[in-house]
Amino acid sequence: MDEIELRRELERAHADCFGWAMTCCGRDRDDAEEVLQTVYLTVLDGRAHYDARSSFRTWLFGVIRRTAASERRKAWLHGLLLKREAGSLKPEAPAPPDAEVERDSRCHSLRHALARLAARQREVLQLVFYHELTVDEAAAVMGITTGSARTHYARGKARLATLLGDAREL
Amino acid sequence: MMDESELRRRFAQLREADREREPSFAQTYGRAHARRSWRATLRVRPLVIGAAAAIAIAAVWLAPARSFSPSAVTPTIVTWRAPTDVLLRTPGSDLLGGMPALGASVLDTMIPTPSEKGA
Repeated sequence: MDEIELRRELERAHADCFGWAMTCCGRDRDDAEEVLQTVYLTVLDGRAHYDARSSFRTWLFGVIRRTAASERRKAWLHGLLLKREAGSLKPEAPAPPDAEVERDSRCHSLRHALARLAARQREVLQLVFYHELTVDEAAAVMGITTGSARTHYARGKARLATLLGDAREL
Repeated sequence: MMDESELRRRFAQLREADREREPSFAQTYGRAHARRSWRATLRVRPLVIGAAAAIAIAAVWLAPARSFSPSAVTPTIVTWRAPTDVLLRTPGSDLLGGMPALGASVLDTMIPTPSEKGA
């Protein structure tokens, strides 16, 4: 795959990649963008090579997952606490209109519930429900067996439904 | 308990919200490209520094060799005299140059003997 073709494929998958990068970065937008840049750089440099064993998007999701994990380790080494404190000082965004408030509230409860799941459960649910991948594809992205992915999926879905149901009742 | 379609709807809303915050592809790709160029510069930098160091070492190593190179017009150390040698010749240095002999006077060298006068 030459650079022009790579660019076209990356552009096609960009929106999905950003959503997945958000999940891998604990929903921090800046971190997700940083990870995405690193992934594009890795792909352009040929350090991550697509071998067509899966779909381009599935392969790219795997690269994003590994890159995010690597960036997390680096951030931890460089003093994650300082970064978090600096991040908490960011100015708040202006209040959105009412229609958005309801949607944001639903999104917030979903994010909150997802955050309470185990990492693997969260990842498999995100891949299946958000990115509409099959459980097999999600397993490939996560680098685990399909059986393991199915277990995480079933447990995660049940737990998420309970958490969201509880939140709705409150 | 929430059904699967409700879960899908919730995730679709989350996806929609994320799309609004999504950076453009051109921006992300452009920054990745810029980082790539910067990395290329960083990769070349050690080579440039290494080459400069090698040239400096070679220059230092070759410079003394060139200054000591033999030349046809350069006198040997035996025949060479410093241009300021004359400054070392003090008045009366001729008298002190040789070993005085017993019975001789320092004036002998200054006053001509009768035989020398006759000649």
